[in-house]
Amino acid sequence: MSTSIVAYRRTLLTSLVIAVALAFSFTTLRLSAWEGLLPFFGWMETTLFGVIGKTWGAAFAVIEAIHLLAMALLGGAVLVSEGRLVGLLLTEVPARTVIDKSHRLFVIALIVVLFTGVFMACGVAMKIYYLEVFFYKMLVLSAGILFAFFIRRPLLRQDLDSISPTVKRCIAVSSLLIWFTVAAAGRWIGFA
Amino acid sequence: MLNEVIYEFALWLDAMPSSTAIHESFYLYNWIEATHVLTLMLCLGMLFIIDLRMLGYALPEVPASKIANGLTTPMLIGFVIMFITGILLFYAIPVRSSQSLWFRIKVVLLVAAAINAYLFHRRMTASVNSWDNDAKAPLNIRVGAILSIVFWIVIAICGRFIAYDWFDCKHNPEPFFSALAGCVDGQTQF
Repeated sequence: MSTSIVAYRRTLLTSLVIAVALAFSFTTLRLSAWEGLLPFFGWMETTLFGVIGKTWGAAFAVIEAIHLLAMALLGGAVLVSEGRLVGLLLTEVPARTVIDKSHRLFVIALIVVLFTGVFMACGVAMKIYYLEVFFYKMLVLSAGILFAFFIRRPLLRQDLDSISPTVKRCIAVSSLLIWFTVAAAGRWIGFA
Repeated sequence: MLNEVIYEFALWLDAMPSSTAIHESFYLYNWIEATHVLTLMLCLGMLFIIDLRMLGYALPEVPASKIANGLTTPMLIGFVIMFITGILLFYAIPVRSSQSLWFRIKVVLLVAAAINAYLFHRRMTASVNSWDNDAKAPLNIRVGAILSIVFWIVIAICGRFIAYDWFDCKHNPEPFFSALAGCVDGQTQF
């Protein structure tokens, strides 16, 4: 029982942090804070990653492809895990096994996504600085990481049978929406 | 000769109003491309998990047949969407795509991946009962899984490279690359 209270307290706190960040992003304060980051983005282009990314188009393209593949693995891990959580996929396999093992794949994929993402961002730092969609991608990505480690994971550490089906469905749908939005926003950066 | 035929076919597609409409529509083209790329998460995500299970790196305590049977349908749904959107992307820019070195490598690898998938499925169906609960599949299945991962990684890289014009015919690439890309002497459209 106490575990469940801790999990929900964390859930509420994390949801609050995400809500505050979202509210902040729609205020003029966000714009002035973003202006303050301009020198940082300028510095990013001068780093080794930035120089490599700008100098060798092929290196940038390969890292881009690895980023994409890691997103595919991340998406696969999320789909399998959430699919099992709501009873749509791998129903013959214990949910605990699928959720725990796919979380490991998710973490590995997320590390690769973040590393390659930083590399790519350094290569085109001044371009993405002026793209609204980049800001929103970072916002959703942060929300996704907070959601995965501070809401979803603690909740699903409990006995899965003790969690109501509605909560499970909410977790699965939220997770799918968040990671789909991260991927879609990432793709849209390329079009901007 | 083959390259001339492909070029003529691409010109014929290019002249179609619907091809131009997709190409010139900012949102439609981008939506198709975004769908093509995002479906990677469904198709390749499932495929990687199946292949990693065979290699003993993902869900090794779960019988291999359960993973393969449970994830093949969503993987195929993803593949069908990717295939349809891929055809539409080709249809929108047929001349440049058909003369893209990366697109050509991608098509060859897609055929290789399809043959590998068929052999993989046949071998697995024939022998899975004897190793279903093993953490790692037998060597011939593992080789198929590694080939599958490698093929799809290179396919994704080639797909990404299509956006770059390093070897495009309009740049008059070296004869070797020009031949591979299928550039046609005296072509006026790119």
